[in-house]
Amino acid sequence: MATEDKKTKKKFSRRKFLQRGAIIFGGTVVAVIASKGPIRRFLAQKAENMDFPLLVSTQEPSFWFEVLPDNTILYKSTKLEMGQGIFTGLAMLAAEELEVALEQIKVVHANTANGVEDSLGTGGSNTTLSLFKPIREVAATLREMLKAQAAKQWGVPVAGIKVENGIMTSGNHKATYYEISTSTKEWKTPETPELKPSSAFKYVGKDVKRIDLKPKVTGKPIFGIDQTFPDMLYAVMLQSPYIGGKLKKLNTQEAAKVNGVVKIVEDGELVAVVAKNRYAAELGLQKIEAEWDVPKKWQQAEFEALTTVGLGTDVRIQSEGSPESLLEEAPNQVFKQEYRTPLATHAHMEPHGAVAHVEKDKATMYVGTQASTLFRSAIAKAIEAETEQLNIETTYAGGSFGRRIDSKHSEKVARIAKIVGKPVHIFNTRTQEFQNAIYRPQTHHVLAAKIGENGTIEAITHSQATPDQVLGAIPANIGYTLLGADFVSAGHGASILYNIEHKSATLWQNKLPVHTGIWRSVGMFPNTFAIESFINELAHKTGKDPLKMRLELLAGNEQINQRYKKVLETLAEKSGWNQPKAAGIGRGIAIGNDRKSIAAAVIEVAIVDNQIQVKKVTQVLDAGLAINPEGIRMQVEGATMMGITAALYEGLSIKDGQITATNFHEYPMAKLSDTPEIEVIILEGHTEPYGVGEPPLAPVAPAIAAAVFDLTGKNLRTLPLKLS
Amino acid sequence: MEINFNINGKTAKVDVDPAMPLLWVVRDELNLKATKFGCGAALCGACTLHIDGEAYRSCSIPVSFAAGKKVTTLEGLSESEDKLHPIQQAWMEENVPQCGYCQPGFMMAAANLLEKNPNPTEEDIKNNITNICRCGTQPRIIKAIKRAAQLSQTVTA
Ligand code: FES
Ligand code: FES
Repeated sequence: MATEDKKTKKKFSRRKFLQRGAIIFGGTVVAVIASKGPIRRFLAQKAENMDFPLLVSTQEPSFWFEVLPDNTILYKSTKLEMGQGIFTGLAMLAAEELEVALEQIKVVHANTANGVEDSLGTGGSNTTLSLFKPIREVAATLREMLKAQAAKQWGVPVAGIKVENGIMTSGNHKATYYEISTSTKEWKTPETPELKPSSAFKYVGKDVKRIDLKPKVTGKPIFGIDQTFPDMLYAVMLQSPYIGGKLKKLNTQEAAKVNGVVKIVEDGELVAVVAKNRYAAELGLQKIEAEWDVPKKWQQAEFEALTTVGLGTDVRIQSEGSPESLLEEAPNQVFKQEYRTPLATHAHMEPHGAVAHVEKDKATMYVGTQASTLFRSAIAKAIEAETEQLNIETTYAGGSFGRRIDSKHSEKVARIAKIVGKPVHIFNTRTQEFQNAIYRPQTHHVLAAKIGENGTIEAITHSQATPDQVLGAIPANIGYTLLGADFVSAGHGASILYNIEHKSATLWQNKLPVHTGIWRSVGMFPNTFAIESFINELAHKTGKDPLKMRLELLAGNEQINQRYKKVLETLAEKSGWNQPKAAGIGRGIAIGNDRKSIAAAVIEVAIVDNQIQVKKVTQVLDAGLAINPEGIRMQVEGATMMGITAALYEGLSIKDGQITATNFHEYPMAKLSDTPEIEVIILEGHTEPYGVGEPPLAPVAPAIAAAVFDLTGKNLRTLPLKLS
Repeated sequence: MEINFNINGKTAKVDVDPAMPLLWVVRDELNLKATKFGCGAALCGACTLHIDGEAYRSCSIPVSFAAGKKVTTLEGLSESEDKLHPIQQAWMEENVPQCGYCQPGFMMAAANLLEKNPNPTEEDIKNNITNICRCGTQPRIIKAIKRAAQLSQTVTA
């Protein structure tokens, strides 16, 4: 990866790259889409439908195809492959319209030097949805251009040209895409061709294995941490072990003496041990004597209390009827409960870090980032370079779950590389991953309902206290000015989806002294835990079957109601909801609507040695058009396992001003021994794909809590769920 | 200090601090990047490799321990890229990896389990392999190990 020739690329006018979606034919740049072409319009439309902030709506993304001499197509993805399988999905879509075999498409990460402009970043389960049509349109345009050129050369009508596996034929004429692509430098931009109907899809809808299986199974150096430069040094940074700690006193004498340490970087708050190898760098770090100014030594109880309904700024995000006055009028009929979810972290297996090489007139970084475009200028600024001088080579990421939307770390790595004057490799220790992270916010929820005489729910209110998830991550705090409170992310899923005449949802935005950010499924995770647990409690209180109660409360004539019905009925059937349970088994249910996808789960648990053990999970997911059902199953399984960790194990606590977890023994995660039987049912019958990576996560914790109640009669309202 | 050992069938000579974890020697001195860093404290298994046929978490093993021994990393598990080890073959067939970062460690732990127990039950697999995968590939890892056990038997039969 490191040896790619950047100089030839530099020759192309960058301006051109930025303004247009372009296709490269063996080095010839061709503008496919007129400057304000359909791509941008489509993307903007899609983006408007997403529950994700569109930060810079005027920028135009570029999509890149390159026809290679072996007649394969190189697709340069602006989206990060972090385990979600996006490369496979995008290759399938491109192959459909390019009329090539899937094996003929190679997907790599686009680097910023060849014009990545993706203001959205990768996240919010939006990639497939936002690119579903644009990718196919660009692919179809490329195909038509090549066909038109072949027709011209051969003197035959375009309509008579057949394409298969990237080879065009007409009568006795035959040529590969590559041959035609290099035959001229004059290209015409056609109108965007009509797309194939779904009935003609060759790959979409079929089970396709990951296209990056082989490099991952043979351990190829594809991750950020695997990247090297000649003469590279290794470093670790000094980071405060205290919340809000500021460096007061520093003694690096002993550290500098460690064999292999070449330099101690001290630049204001930025301190790093630079060494010939990682071992020496770590030893050096241990030898640093640092004293910290800690404004306040937080303890768990007071830290937790910062996030409490009633504190901070309130924003009403749902208001129908007059639920509050109904609740006030009849206090005897009011049922009220509180729920809490803890501060947590991403614990992605590849720690945060980057490899940087800052030279006199250019800089190169390898980093697995969800938002290279967003942060490129900030990183460039940190090293006093022009944005154009910095090339970010995005690498595969060893997990992310929202963590890699942040780039502060990369700014520091770049600064250190500049100071050292040699390439450096800097990745967090696992302790730093726990103590210096961006955290999943802790939340507090108060739910109240008025239960009518006949057991109907007449009114319901939900108040969620939460620190923000995206505002702090957006440069220069434009988020606060734009949005006020973070209802798009932290408040996602706080609204009540059930048909209850009087309902409201209120967000109480509080700040924490730690940096909080997005975490897979964002606000859906805590909100679904709270709301679905409350609904399960209401079902019990009113003597109703929790699945039937949901069917009733989600009934209606709209398409969405039909989808709920189908999801719940399928779930009832596949999970054996109406069949007797085995002895010692408890069963629970939860459902969520996350960015148009509906996910619902029935979970069975047992209690073994006073520990909750998940035995069986049945997940039904309606995620619209299933581009790759096999890929969806993987995501649902993954979300289920992450949900089990979140439900049973994970959470950070604070003592004497420090996050107490220093490594995985203090932050346990699901192991093979926690793996239940998982059945995934994918419902289909739509024309558009919706999000897949996040929706199946949210129902797991409340379904487990409900199953524990079913078995023990105990309502556990705080995550992680603990029996005693 | 100069330390000699065998790595994936070849001789390795390194001149490093004998206390340096084998993980960093393999990754950065020998440039074999399949073995991963996850925790540095023998807790996650991402750095699992084999020393004289035993599975070790190399982040917590000093390189001196490997002196004169045979070290195998994922790069050396199979004869060649076209002839994958049954574990890798099964991993392909079950479509296991998501991000893929934890997978080398899991494959090395699983290969070692099969050496000792060619036909493990689900309980054996769950009790013996304690690596961590955040992406949630556990269900497929269990299936892949069972499949690899079958593949190995058909190969040897
Ligand atoms: S890195 Fe060695 S066990 Fe985690
Ligand atoms: S596949 Fe990502 S951590 Fe296991």
